[in-house]
Amino acid sequence: MEVKTSTQDGVTLVVPVGRVDSSTAKAFEDEVMKAANGNTKMAIQFDKVDYISSAGLRVILMAGKKLTAAKGELVLINMPDKIFSVFKVSGFDKIIKICPNFEEYKQSFN
Amino acid sequence: MLIEIENNIEEIDRACDLTRAFCLQHKISDEKCHDITLIVDEIMTNIIKYAYSDKQSHTFSLLMEKNDIHIAICFLDDGTEFDPLAAKTPDISSTCIEDRPIGGLGIFIVRQLAEDVKYSRVGNLNRLDIVVNV
Repeated sequence: MEVKTSTQDGVTLVVPVGRVDSSTAKAFEDEVMKAANGNTKMAIQFDKVDYISSAGLRVILMAGKKLTAAKGELVLINMPDKIFSVFKVSGFDKIIKICPNFEEYKQSFN
Repeated sequence: MLIEIENNIEEIDRACDLTRAFCLQHKISDEKCHDITLIVDEIMTNIIKYAYSDKQSHTFSLLMEKNDIHIAICFLDDGTEFDPLAAKTPDISSTCIEDRPIGGLGIFIVRQLAEDVKYSRVGNLNRLDIVVNV
């Protein structure tokens, strides 16, 4: 797994590529928590994620908590159905904003 | 299929690859293959992280069989006696991220995705039987 991070239109965009499981969760955590600094808006893009386990969900939850506490925001975008189903059974769809894509997310605050 | 797995986190990728190959061979749908791989990942992770308190190398087993209606997954490990089904279920009803506790999700996801999960202690072994309808 690798993680690409960039800034687009004032939003920190994080793009993990590959499998987010317990063998890669530490690297994912390091990148995501580094990006989740301050009152930033952060989007994590999921279309290049093959697979996410609870080890990856834990990192998403930690980032969401950190950003919410700092008056920032976490949004999950471009989520394939199989990935969404894992978020749904875990109840994460109720606590973290999910948008179809980056454009629609931008429109929500423009 | 029988896989012998070492208690090393690097083994997860190998076991998940073998699980996917098993699903492909048995013409399991992509969606179910994803669920089965996730189940295998979550249980393996628990065993590797928590079953052995010494720093020694250990091996545990994963058996997988398919019949007409389901896949039976069985984990056998000789680690510390532990019934994962006795673990407290995380409260997922929260709609506020601040209130949501971190952790306890792995076994919860397994129970959501599987048709049936049973734990038994057999001699010095932990046995976890999981049934997934396909």
